[in-house]
Amino acid sequence: MSNVLANQERLKIFGLLSPAYLWLTVAIFLPLSAMLYFSFLSDVPFGDAEWTYTANNYRAFFQTSTYATLLWKSLKLGLMVTCISLLVGFPCAYVLAKAIKGRSREALFLLVILPFWSNSLVRIFSWAIVLRGNGVLELGLNAILPFEVDVNLMFTTPAIVIGLVHSYLPYVILTSYLALQAIDDNLIDAARSMGANKLTILWRIILPLSLPGLLAGAVLIFVPVVGSFMEPRILGGRVGTYFGTVIEDQFVAVFNWPLGAALSFILLAVVLLILAVASPVLKRAQT
Amino acid sequence: MAEVSVQNVTKHFGTLKALNNVTMDFPDGGFFALLGPSGSGKTTLLRAIAGFIFTDGGSIRIGDKSVEHIPVEKRDIGMMFQNYALFPNMTVADNVGFGLRVRKVGADEERRRVGEALELVQLGQHGDRKPHQLSGGQRQRVALARAMVTNPKVLLLDEPLSALDKALRVDMQIELKRIQREIGITTIFVTHDQEEALTLSDKIGILKNGTMIQAGPPREVYSNPADVFTAEFLGEANFLSKDGKGVLGLDAASIKLPAGTGTNATLAVRPESMSITVDEPQQDDMSKLPATLERRIFAGAMATCILNCDGQVFKVIARDQDIPELKEGGQVWLSWKPEKTIVVPSGG
Amino acid sequence: MSGRFLTLLGKTWLGLILFFLYAPIIVMAFMSFNASQYYQLPFEFSLKWYQDLAGNDEIIAAATRSVLIALVTTVIATILGTAASVALFRFEFRGKRFLQVMLFPPIAIPWLITGTAMLIFFFGVGLGRGTPSVIIGHVALALPYVIVVVSARLATFDATLEEAARSLGADAWTVTRRVTLPWISSGVIAGALFAFAVSFDQFVVSYFLSEPGDSTLPVLIYTSIRKGFTPEINAISTIIIVVSMAVMLFAARFSNFGGER
Repeated sequence: MSNVLANQERLKIFGLLSPAYLWLTVAIFLPLSAMLYFSFLSDVPFGDAEWTYTANNYRAFFQTSTYATLLWKSLKLGLMVTCISLLVGFPCAYVLAKAIKGRSREALFLLVILPFWSNSLVRIFSWAIVLRGNGVLELGLNAILPFEVDVNLMFTTPAIVIGLVHSYLPYVILTSYLALQAIDDNLIDAARSMGANKLTILWRIILPLSLPGLLAGAVLIFVPVVGSFMEPRILGGRVGTYFGTVIEDQFVAVFNWPLGAALSFILLAVVLLILAVASPVLKRAQT
Repeated sequence: MAEVSVQNVTKHFGTLKALNNVTMDFPDGGFFALLGPSGSGKTTLLRAIAGFIFTDGGSIRIGDKSVEHIPVEKRDIGMMFQNYALFPNMTVADNVGFGLRVRKVGADEERRRVGEALELVQLGQHGDRKPHQLSGGQRQRVALARAMVTNPKVLLLDEPLSALDKALRVDMQIELKRIQREIGITTIFVTHDQEEALTLSDKIGILKNGTMIQAGPPREVYSNPADVFTAEFLGEANFLSKDGKGVLGLDAASIKLPAGTGTNATLAVRPESMSITVDEPQQDDMSKLPATLERRIFAGAMATCILNCDGQVFKVIARDQDIPELKEGGQVWLSWKPEKTIVVPSGG
Repeated sequence: MSGRFLTLLGKTWLGLILFFLYAPIIVMAFMSFNASQYYQLPFEFSLKWYQDLAGNDEIIAAATRSVLIALVTTVIATILGTAASVALFRFEFRGKRFLQVMLFPPIAIPWLITGTAMLIFFFGVGLGRGTPSVIIGHVALALPYVIVVVSARLATFDATLEEAARSLGADAWTVTRRVTLPWISSGVIAGALFAFAVSFDQFVVSYFLSEPGDSTLPVLIYTSIRKGFTPEINAISTIIIVVSMAVMLFAARFSNFGGER
């Protein structure tokens, strides 16, 4: 009897879960495996192309310093964007979570999160309109300031950083806000009743308790920024060559897919390493 | 309506024995309590009767039907949940009518019976409200109406009153008892509140670690507990001895025991059975002990006294006016009728 | 005094952040109504660029394709994701934790990697680039979001409601239809809107998977931007951002994130 039940239950579980997970397998996990395989080929195995197994694609990464330098440049970019977003976003999340109450908090929170769910490409384009020479920023500043300034940030590293911070800032605000909201106000009152001043409360209670949320936000920013290519292309122009843009080139311009696959895989390895290091903290953030 | 019978039921959760060879009869029309501390298996037993849990062994009968292999929805039970489990998306009337609609009784009949059920729980005017618009007590009544409207064979209540505050709980106890009497439905309810179990039920089953320790009428289990655990769980007890070893270092002569008491028995007296006097009581047929009054706690009509009796802390509850005016630290005598001594057989 | 000063400072900061987040978008939208082709000021109101859009077959085709792909993605991802969420919520089984963890790679791995990997795989199995590949990719990206949103709603579901329904004689199907689905419906709607947004705004994966000349709207915008800016791009971008923000505002009404409802 109980065996029949167990079998029925197993059938139900399988029926409900398998479509979704089969889809994820076909569209995510098999492709990632295929990419690993590809990265060890000398040429694409389509048509009449001659191909052999080789580790040359990985060797290419280590032989010339070009790729490693670009990866390092991408990692530095990720670090910079992450730090700025944390510094800018955390106080903002704090104000939302603790200083504003009621319906206006809900509305403001939504307003902060909303751009995140709109098209990132369009938002990067909007910065291009603002930052370009003779663009709105320059015209605006010249209208206010008594002296003539020449602001052409377009096609510079700061432009890329501004665009990326704009893209990913809502992540930090979201995760910090959720973490801060979970902190019981009574804890803060309790600390105050024991004579702690604001700085002590921030340093000894609020920061430690919201650390998992902060780190979650940091990882959620760092990872995609390291793999970004569209933002540097549009806002960086010639200075916008990063590890991501090189990978893009292999697939859409140079058509060296095996090299692209190898570089993608190196990037994936870096990403997984970061996720693995952060995962104990991220797990705590979930609960 | 039907009698329910549980015979030698066993249930394992992994290595944990949640029910261990449990047997209890629930005669037709009675009101029964399953009582025990958390983890004792009382809820597991109720859920096994309901059909949410399939047992590993033993038999469960509802009426003349063996139900071990019948799923919940076919057992024709009514159940009330601890948090009431009212469907938040439905009105009160739709909640109560849910079981009828599932049984396809027809719209007119459904409306009539829902109306009757709501009248019975005195919520006739609240049919079109949503659950969140009701007070805790009202929700509880809706849950009761919903559980009864299908005329189930048995009504199962899982700690139905635990979410209410004290005053409301007493009201609801009376109400619940009234409705149950009116309908005459066999009712089994789970509680960890011994007072509630003693007040409401015709028969109490006491569980501990998945085992049925004792089952019987409230007065019987209260005055003749099967073991020390039951004696302590069913209310406070002043122990005179445990397993034959005297707790007190006094001569046992002053304590009169019922005939036939084994030498290994545990002896205890309920706090309300003892009286306090300043002078030594002269009746020979009373058990008596000297003690020191340590504290007297006033609680309206009643008062609780904490006494020291040869190093043992005793508690006596009596009407405030029956307790002599005394300073704390004064010498008193405790006395009680011999039949008030609870004798727990050893090893029970 | 100092407390109030700090609060004021904080609110000012929040205001500056909102300005930072919205100013460029507003400027971009503003410029789509400016008559000058070279974004010249002073501002002169004109609907010229929107009229041009209406006559641009390539953009209209791409927009139609984007919406269709998003709709198909929404339907598939919502159905599969809801089914999976219900199974993950209702049953206890071995490997459940693993399945839940498997939802994170599609969200956490940069789309550049997923996109290129899909490109390689779909070519390997002979599917190649094109709308079917784009849809397969979009559904995979949207699924975890649907499962997370629906699961969050399910987590607030009181399982004793199902037990109560069963105790009243309802069979499994009736319980699902009358009790479970009504409760999670708002989560399912929110999940569907998220899926739509993920697909409609998706650029990276579409970029690698769509065929040249048969691309989605964001991909078309990207290729146009690289040729040079025109106010026409501002116009279509403004439309996109209005649509996706409207969808998300709608989704926020149905999910409870941020609000204690």
